[in-house]
Amino acid sequence: MLKPFTNMHRRTAIKNLALIIGGAALLPSCVHDSGQASVKLKNIDINADQEKLIGDMAETIIPKTNTPGAKDLQLHLFVLKMVDDCCTKKDQQDFMTGMEQFNDLVKKRYSVSFSQCNVKQREQTLLSIEQDGKDAKSTAYPAKLKTFYGIVKGQTVNGYTTSKYFMTKQVVYELVPGRYNAFYPVKKKQAV
Amino acid sequence: MANLNIDSVKDRTFDAIVIGSGMSGGWAAKELTGKGLKTLMLERGRDVKHIKDYPTTNMYPWEFEHRGEMPMAVQEANPIVNRCYAFHEDAAHFFVKDKEHPYVQDKPFDWIRGYQVGGKSLLWARQTQRWSDFDFEGPSRDGFAVDWPIRYKDIAPWYSYVEKFAGISGNKDGLAELPDGEFLPAFPLNSVESYFSKHVKNKYGRHVISARCAHLSKPNQIHLDQGRAQCQERILCQRGCPFGGYFSANSSTIPWALKSGNLTLRPFSVVQSIIYDEKKGKATGVRIVDTNTKETIEYFANIIFVNAAALNTNLILLNSTSHRFPNGLGNDSGVLGKYVAFHNYSAHISAQYDGLLEWTTDGRNPAGGGYIPRFRNIHKQETDFLRGYASGFSAYRRQQRSWDGVGGSLKENLVKDNLGPWSVGSHMMGETIPKEASYVALDAKLKDDWGVPLLKISVDYDDNDEKMKKDYIEQLTEMFTSAGFTNIKAESDHRAPGLDIHEMGGARMGNDPKTSVLNKWNQLHAVNNVFVTDGACMTSTSCQNPSLTYMALTARAVDHAVSEMNKGNI
Repeated sequence: MLKPFTNMHRRTAIKNLALIIGGAALLPSCVHDSGQASVKLKNIDINADQEKLIGDMAETIIPKTNTPGAKDLQLHLFVLKMVDDCCTKKDQQDFMTGMEQFNDLVKKRYSVSFSQCNVKQREQTLLSIEQDGKDAKSTAYPAKLKTFYGIVKGQTVNGYTTSKYFMTKQVVYELVPGRYNAFYPVKKKQAV
Repeated sequence: MANLNIDSVKDRTFDAIVIGSGMSGGWAAKELTGKGLKTLMLERGRDVKHIKDYPTTNMYPWEFEHRGEMPMAVQEANPIVNRCYAFHEDAAHFFVKDKEHPYVQDKPFDWIRGYQVGGKSLLWARQTQRWSDFDFEGPSRDGFAVDWPIRYKDIAPWYSYVEKFAGISGNKDGLAELPDGEFLPAFPLNSVESYFSKHVKNKYGRHVISARCAHLSKPNQIHLDQGRAQCQERILCQRGCPFGGYFSANSSTIPWALKSGNLTLRPFSVVQSIIYDEKKGKATGVRIVDTNTKETIEYFANIIFVNAAALNTNLILLNSTSHRFPNGLGNDSGVLGKYVAFHNYSAHISAQYDGLLEWTTDGRNPAGGGYIPRFRNIHKQETDFLRGYASGFSAYRRQQRSWDGVGGSLKENLVKDNLGPWSVGSHMMGETIPKEASYVALDAKLKDDWGVPLLKISVDYDDNDEKMKKDYIEQLTEMFTSAGFTNIKAESDHRAPGLDIHEMGGARMGNDPKTSVLNKWNQLHAVNNVFVTDGACMTSTSCQNPSLTYMALTARAVDHAVSEMNKGNI
């Protein structure tokens, strides 16, 4: 049941935002000790290794370059939150099953875990699954593995492109445009 | 003790009572208080104060926990309201959740409600068009429902009156089927909308005009006096606007009424029934349940306006029974609750245009783009269905940034400018024919938390709607094709009635008390101090968005009510 969007929710949102901004500093103290995920989840059970996997996948998708990457922006925690809150039960189950299949696949292919793979191996793994996902008929990878990857990829990019960092530093989101130009020459740079 | 009771009754007595605080209730309160009447406004939900109670209004996308998406648990618990286009994380707090006020769907009906001060006026799509005599004369010309007891000339001055205060942007287009109003400057059509407008005018003699909407494109003094400011093109209206850039009861009529000192606003007040006094032969007040204390309280007044939103107005009237009116207040005719209709929004069409690529737009258009007034069966019957449809029309370009791949190249693609071609879209807004078989009634057994019977809704499409939809798809497809649009996709979405949020009728106006509930002044034929000026009063639906007509009917009815009261007739 949804409660009205009260100040409490706003505070939660701001707190989450603070977590995202200050996330890198917080991480070492709150992961691994308990073997539990560092984000509070209600519906899916994620341990520290699994969280690390999602983190490494997200970082492979949006790596740190000369600009922040997925871990800097805590996108893996956003992915887990969205799976936990916004996916159907079936997608959550497929996500968990697909994650196991993904781990098995990487172990089989490289004899090490995803986290121990180098960047090239990681990228190739994700790209080959993504490629296979474009062919609805292909059975090269199990369907649930593709569901798992699709969710991680989609929510990582969703989290990235709707992050404060992206919407203030990469593209300009205007809360108050204050104008509508119906005829605007393409040559000029628009805001979003 | 006796004195206490007398004092208590006195405290609960007003000159007028308005049931409901939304689009039309806000107008009733503004007009009544403006004429000096001490007025009580009853709202079943909580108070929503302008600006103060818009918690999400200044939030950035990244400040929403799920970036706007509704959590699955909420979606699954609310299959009905979840189908509404505006039910997202930024405005969900203004919608009634499915379990909060259940109803019985004799046939599928998505009843979308906003139980708070301001009602759905916070959430509406703000499209405002006048009716013409092609609409008011529709039922009599085409032989359905009953004749409207008014014509355009009766309401035209009241359209002007409410338009000036609410602030309506638009162009004077000079169309008989869509009369011009008192307009603030229109939000212009963009390059492709203008191109399409010229094309269909030349080829078909049809019109694509700037959508007329309740936004302050350029405020006048009267709007500044309300504390409102120019629309800032945010298009986040459903959150409540901190500028008062669009018209809502919260930003406009209610604060105005409060400023008069004559308004008492009482939220958390569910109206059970209107009290009818057999000896006096009129209504004397209303009976409410305070939703916090569960206490039943009676309030008294000489004039009662029922503006609870179309279906809840029917519910209140049906539940107001007495020896004189065993089947609901003013229901001598037996038509109360019947002839409910709506707007058919169940088709839309999208396409692409590869021309005019030297142009795009900048900022956002609060009007949403263009509006195609009804072009079918205006002067005479010319199709195999009755009446017609208006259509929305808009064109836009988006950055098409590829999400393909991973790594540094993906990051680059996500910021690379790649302006797509023009996307164009249209949606259907069809008039539906009120029928006796489309009705609302009280459920015989089930009651809500406040002891009021649940409303049973039995409203459906008919053959006329199907034929009209087929025509909309054919005509718009042809117009799109001839304009050179490609990749044309028409879709029929089989939505239930109600999702249009334009439910109307049940207490229709008419000349004959035997076949209608209200007279030409929106007054119950049989109880002359009770007025209904929300969607329940509608004899037919036209295809224009209805809110502006409710506003005008309300101001007109208050003027009549107070003048009759002053003459001693009420």
